[in-house]
Amino acid sequence: MESSLDKSRSHQVYLETGGKREQDKSNVLFGFTVFLLSESMVFVSFFLTYTILRLTTINWLPPGVSGPELSTPIIINTVVLLSSSVVIYLAERALKRHNLWLFRVLWLTTSAMGAYFLAGTLREWRSLDFGLLTGLVGATFYLLTGFHGLHVSAGIFLQMLMLVRSFVPGNYNRGHYGVTAISLFWHFVDVIWVILFSLLYLWRA
Amino acid sequence: MTINPNITSVSNSEVRQELNWKRYFSFNTDHKVIGIQYLVTTFIFFLIGGVLSMIVRGELITPKSDLVDRTLYNGLFTLHGTVMIFLWIIPSQVGLANYLIPLMIGAKDMAFPKLNAIAFWIIPFGGIFLLSSFLLPSGTAQAGWWSYPPVSIQNPSGYPINGETIWLLSIILLGISSIMGGVNFVTTIVRMRAPGMTAFRMPIFVWTVLSAQLLQLFCLPVLTGAAIMLFFDLSFGTNFFKPALGGDPVLYQHLFWFYSHPAVYVMVLPAFGVFSEIIPAFTRNPLFGYRSVAVASLGITVVSIFVWVHHMFASGTPSWMRILFMFSTMLVGVPTGIKVFAWTATIWKSKLHLDTPMLFALGGVIMFVIGGITGIMLGAVAFDLHVNNTYFVVGHFHYIVYNTITMAIFAAIYFWFPKMTGRMCHEGWGKIHFWLTFIGANLTFFPMLPLGLQGMVRRVSSYDPQYAGYNILASLGAFLLGMATLPFIANIVASWLNGARAANNPWHATGLEWTTASPPPLENFAKIPTVTLAPYSYGQPQYSTVDTSDEEALRRHGN
Amino acid sequence: MNKILEIVLLAIGVAAIVVISYWLGQQAYSWMPPAATAEARHVDDLFSFLVALGVFVFLTVIGTIVYSIITCRTTKNDYTEGHPARGNGKLEFLWTAIPTVLVLWIAYQSYSIYQQLDIEGLGTIMDSSASLASQPALATTVIQPTSQPIEEIEVLAKQWVWTFRYPQKKIATGELHLPKNRRVRLVFQSEDVIHGFYVPEFRFKQDIIPNHTLDFTFTPLREGKYKLHDSQFSGTYFALMEADVYVDSPEAYSQWLKSTNGNTMKLNLAAAEHAQKPQQLIKSNWHAVEPYLPLVATEVKSKN
Ligand code: HEA
Ligand code: HEA
Ligand code: CUA
Ligand SMILES: [Cu+2]
Repeated sequence: MESSLDKSRSHQVYLETGGKREQDKSNVLFGFTVFLLSESMVFVSFFLTYTILRLTTINWLPPGVSGPELSTPIIINTVVLLSSSVVIYLAERALKRHNLWLFRVLWLTTSAMGAYFLAGTLREWRSLDFGLLTGLVGATFYLLTGFHGLHVSAGIFLQMLMLVRSFVPGNYNRGHYGVTAISLFWHFVDVIWVILFSLLYLWRA
Repeated sequence: MTINPNITSVSNSEVRQELNWKRYFSFNTDHKVIGIQYLVTTFIFFLIGGVLSMIVRGELITPKSDLVDRTLYNGLFTLHGTVMIFLWIIPSQVGLANYLIPLMIGAKDMAFPKLNAIAFWIIPFGGIFLLSSFLLPSGTAQAGWWSYPPVSIQNPSGYPINGETIWLLSIILLGISSIMGGVNFVTTIVRMRAPGMTAFRMPIFVWTVLSAQLLQLFCLPVLTGAAIMLFFDLSFGTNFFKPALGGDPVLYQHLFWFYSHPAVYVMVLPAFGVFSEIIPAFTRNPLFGYRSVAVASLGITVVSIFVWVHHMFASGTPSWMRILFMFSTMLVGVPTGIKVFAWTATIWKSKLHLDTPMLFALGGVIMFVIGGITGIMLGAVAFDLHVNNTYFVVGHFHYIVYNTITMAIFAAIYFWFPKMTGRMCHEGWGKIHFWLTFIGANLTFFPMLPLGLQGMVRRVSSYDPQYAGYNILASLGAFLLGMATLPFIANIVASWLNGARAANNPWHATGLEWTTASPPPLENFAKIPTVTLAPYSYGQPQYSTVDTSDEEALRRHGN
Repeated sequence: MNKILEIVLLAIGVAAIVVISYWLGQQAYSWMPPAATAEARHVDDLFSFLVALGVFVFLTVIGTIVYSIITCRTTKNDYTEGHPARGNGKLEFLWTAIPTVLVLWIAYQSYSIYQQLDIEGLGTIMDSSASLASQPALATTVIQPTSQPIEEIEVLAKQWVWTFRYPQKKIATGELHLPKNRRVRLVFQSEDVIHGFYVPEFRFKQDIIPNHTLDFTFTPLREGKYKLHDSQFSGTYFALMEADVYVDSPEAYSQWLKSTNGNTMKLNLAAAEHAQKPQQLIKSNWHAVEPYLPLVATEVKSKN
């Protein structure tokens, strides 16, 4: 059905390069994409839970609770996170042009922006007038932002790993699938944030 | 599908590594080792789950609650269901797929061997973790394998670590292993096929594994999400699903069944694949309607995502939803029917050989039809409202999970055992195993259907004496079924140690796995084969005429 | 000649299958418990239809397989091909189309029988705090066969006792009495976990969800004593959550309503067993949720 020709050609490459590595690495990207699609279903289940509970609960906001408010720090936070997607893209491009130092600088900037975002989330958590146990608002809010924050942290951790690796001589000579995969992950985290942001802050009662 | 003749005979002696039993206990990344690790480990869990069910049947042989106390009984069926589904049916077929997929598509290994090994090692640890809850003072999880709130989160006060916590954590853990497996299988099947192995040259088993794993990837994360939220409710005091505090317990049911319905097709699809491999080999016919069977696998996958509410017809579900999901549920019968008819047509006007694998396959297909038809009956809302949560449902699904899928796994083990071990199974013992299992299974699970019609609800450890007769029958059948496992174990162990040597292709079957040595060398093929034929080409001379080395092997195993 | 013989045999086979299916479909009525409500008869019709069709499909497929097993055996070392056909477009179309038609037929039958029932579980979800009196009449399309008023009874489930309240008489009891030939509406409420209302002779089941009031309307037709069982797993003593259900003649029913004083609570099986030492052979001594004590009847009354 689907390109059998293509298939055998890529196989040819496989045989000619004599190495498993080449094929393995491009499989990494494919597999990682599959994984991300699957992972997004966890978020879908949370989003659906949030939406359904919010639509069916009569007292969504318990007395005295105003819910998450759209404030300037959150907007700044959002802008920082979203623009980090551009930065990581530039980092990737730098690597493709074998400009290792530019790559490292941009890469580190991305991580720093992510870290800024995380710090901002924590700051917001502390300033809120409701906690995890404050009705369904609290439960869903902290679950969603917490789970997203966990993904941001994971992204930063992986970025650090790649940064260290960039100092291994010749590490990126045979391609840089790891970097591509992590950058893909980072865009994924951003897209999730956009949905989350709309659900939590833009959807007013 | 055949391959370039000059590479059929792999000179295995040079490639074959030292066959050391110790590697089965190590972090090995060879897919064949991992496949066998899966099969053996999950079979042990099957025995454990089986022993739990034996105690359940022991309790139910009398109407009174006299063998185990109520809490223990609830723990027993909960863990029986959980172990059987998450540690036997699903992972054992992952093991089978692990062994077979790279061989069938002509690859050297899975796409991510290390990930593969990690995914496997999660299974024994997750399983032991789950079973360890028997040792807790507050006991195991006791809310059934659905773990519906609010029952499941009536946290035994004073026990911060309780069976339910462990249950939820194990489910999340085993889910992670399954996702790793899913990523690995999909990547392997999509990207690692040998030259010439086009989509419509893939054996049906590959198609079904692909379909099943796509379902896992799409639906399983939703269960993980639900488990995480239930865990928060249980351990941190949130109220996602607590009705008293505004949460919605029915929402949990939707999330649970959104995965757990497709999960039943995750379980059954590879079994369909096994039938589709074995039936052509023992009828000497190409699989009838190969293309439609292949496409039907994907059809089942798609339709099965939209039927989950049929488990919730009584849960206060609105009528429009009941009707809608009744129609979708029944539609699943169509792609499934295509497969059943294709197998039937393959058997029609054939050259039938009734070796052990074929017996199990035929038995499985026959009992599947009973399971499937009772399923269609359950899909009819008005009838389901009578038998929902009764033994009719228990009968329905055991006809599939045991009488179809477990039979298929037995069939697969008998069929590929020569490939896996290089030795033949003993035919006579295999046939004894089959007949004991076939009779025992029907004796156990058929009486559950009238019991359910008469109104006996499930998950009870005592019941009205009017139900005693069928229960005695079912319990005796279950004990027979338990005993039926013994000849199997004896056969496998004895044959593995000193069965007759197997030829490379003892069944004269098509399929790339039969072109390499038995057992296959490391990296499977001396040279990656090129596929030039359609699958199941049983008319080709190399399959329909017998070469002497195979003749020799056949004589030895007494066929 | 052979061809003709084959066709004749085939015709006989199909005829036999049709007869057996029809016959078993008729038998199916006797596999069910007695039908005690008007609705139950419809369900039994559906069941009979499902059995007949199911048996037909089963016998057709299995008959073909068994016939092949008997006639197609070959010798040990004969590995030649059976039949070379790899498929047959027409046949495959046929066996996709026929099951499609069959399942649509089944679904349609189920649908129309469903329509004849008053099964409208969620027709009127309401906040449990809303008082019953102020409820609007059933908004759904329930056709009222008689002009008689509907007898409304509240069913209260908690771990693990049933309580029935007759609002107009202000009584609560532990056994359910229903008038024959009158439409009855049960209004379900649960205090703790999900329970389920199930009397096999009535042929329906409704989960009872805390904080959601659900109701169900039906007409009992057959006098007698039945057993209500909880049908949704509800914890340790789930097996003991039963109650007696009586369908009385109208006279006996009003007689009972008058004579009962609301204190006819049956023995609370769960509480009784919980108070005892476990009698079973193997004791786990795992934690069990405390059952409610038997004083439910008065408790409910005082609430009103
Ligand atoms: C792996 C297992 C498996 C499989 C394959 C199936 C297959 C099907 N199941 Fe089953 N089911 C379970 C495992 C499985 N089930 C389990 C575990 C439960 C209970 C869980 C629990 O409560 O604990 C359950 C419960 C369950 C319910 C809920 C009952 C209740 O709780 O009240 C329903 C209701 O619709 C249902 C329906 C079906 C249908 C329609 C199919 C269909 O896919 C069947 C299709 C097959 C055929 C129909 C036969 C072959 C077809 C033909 C020969 C063509 C011609 C046929 C016709 C025209 C009819 N199943
Ligand atoms: C998925 C696969 C699967 C399999 C293979 C089985 C296999 C069996 N099941 Fe299971 N069962 C479930 C899945 C499965 N079950 C699920 C999901 C539930 C629902 C749980 C819930 O309600 O939450 C359930 C529930 C369930 C019940 C209902 C309990 C209740 O509602 O109260 C019963 C009762 O009879 C039962 C019986 C059996 C029996 C007798 C077997 C037999 O086939 C087992 C045979 C195997 C063996 C016996 C192993 C061999 C053992 C030895 C060789 C040791 C020798 C020991 C002795 C003979 C004592 N099962
Ligand atoms: Cu009581 Cu469920
Ligand atoms: Cu289902």
